[in-house]
Amino acid sequence: MSSLLLRILYGFSPPLHRQLFKWPFVLAAGKKDLIDLPVLNEEDLEEQFVRGSGPGGQATNKTSNCVVLKHTPTGIVVKTRSVTHNRKLARDILREKLEVEYKGEESELLRRQNESIQRKQVKRRKVNENIEKKRRFKETLNAEDFGFKSQEP
Amino acid sequence: MTSKTMWLLGRLMHRHRGGLKLSSFVRSASCTAEGAVAPPVDSSVTAEQAVRLWAQHFTLHGISEPLLSSQYIIAHVLGRKTLDGVDRRRLKDPLTDTERVSVWKLCTKRLTSMPVQYVIQEWDFRDLTLKMKPPVFIPRPETEELVGLVLEDLRLIRGESYGTDLRCLEVGCGSGAISLSLLHSIPQLRVLALDQSQAAVCLTRENANRLGLQDKLEVQHLDVMGDALLSKCGPVHFLVSNPPYLLTQEMQSLQTEILRFEDHAALDGGLDGLSVIRSILVLASKLLKERGRVYLEVAPCHPPVIRQMIEETMPGLLYLETRCDLTNRPRFCILQRRA
Repeated sequence: MSSLLLRILYGFSPPLHRQLFKWPFVLAAGKKDLIDLPVLNEEDLEEQFVRGSGPGGQATNKTSNCVVLKHTPTGIVVKTRSVTHNRKLARDILREKLEVEYKGEESELLRRQNESIQRKQVKRRKVNENIEKKRRFKETLNAEDFGFKSQEP
Repeated sequence: MTSKTMWLLGRLMHRHRGGLKLSSFVRSASCTAEGAVAPPVDSSVTAEQAVRLWAQHFTLHGISEPLLSSQYIIAHVLGRKTLDGVDRRRLKDPLTDTERVSVWKLCTKRLTSMPVQYVIQEWDFRDLTLKMKPPVFIPRPETEELVGLVLEDLRLIRGESYGTDLRCLEVGCGSGAISLSLLHSIPQLRVLALDQSQAAVCLTRENANRLGLQDKLEVQHLDVMGDALLSKCGPVHFLVSNPPYLLTQEMQSLQTEILRFEDHAALDGGLDGLSVIRSILVLASKLLKERGRVYLEVAPCHPPVIRQMIEETMPGLLYLETRCDLTNRPRFCILQRRA
């Protein structure tokens, strides 16, 4: 049963009703600055406990035991790796996913991730340019050296 | 690897978009201890494709929970606990070389039936993330319930903040899951944890350090069944344990993951499954303060046997109650030292 549930969840595709819902957004602590994250309405949340098969206890080692936290209006799901979970953490992850979902292209989170990636790319390019410059400079030095030496009697 | 299996693998790989070539498979196949062969690692592959590829590969080799295993491992390489914690667009990006190598290395370990928790070397227990190392016993979900039960019972007896000055003994700490969970929830608690396995003692200490709880936890390498104990250990308010409780005859039918990788001494409770439990109860009657409690996780057949045992041979203890786990199996015993 649990594997069926997981197959359904894995095959999930994004809903088309993004434009139908306008969620109240509140400022919440993000990575560095505050990001608008959607408010979670507990009535829209469903918690389901998934238990693995088998005799249980020490006789079983399954990784399918988890809590599935589902946001029913969108079907977005967050899963844990334990059967009792950090409720706040699971809800924070869900809020992040909702933020990306609702804002789509304008998602603050995605924008910041892209910015961070771009910053790293620019930095790498600069580092490579510097290395190249130094290499060329060294080459001209060696060439001069060579030229100078060849002039020696 | 038979030619039939190679043909089948080839068919599977060609079914993928941006399919992987059979020729490169022959070139770069790497073997596991089983003789099971990993799919080729040359070509560029997205996270999503890797999940599917390895899920199919695990299925092919009879590895249990093939899709879940693949998802957990790849999420871990991408820095998250579960795949739904990974941004959906990230899943469609190709894995970096480092990531791909890592995924292949870890998934190849899973091909040997190594438990996922040992492959990624961590797992969650209640609110904590703990380091996992073979052969130290991997915490089970029932034990999370045991901790919940202990906390609830302590609040009933001692009030919502658990009162002042609380001392506890844990027998068979393994990775430290129970002790560290309790310490995480009860700031004034001090714990003495024992294990007969040096590896478990080390891992518990390591997890305590990682969580900053090392000052509240003492871990000792001791066997409750053998060693003359604990004249140094003062009386404790409660004792908690998830002792080995499987019957010896049950050991042979265990999953490959357990049989091959986990410490059998952490599982085998002897003929009746009660050999360690018996020793713990004897210890409890000596070490517990008056009306101090014992919280045990046991096999479903044990509660009535334990009740009878203490009524007949351990007059200092009182059997309080049996509780069931979430699958409705009798799983937890609560006992008390008589006044």
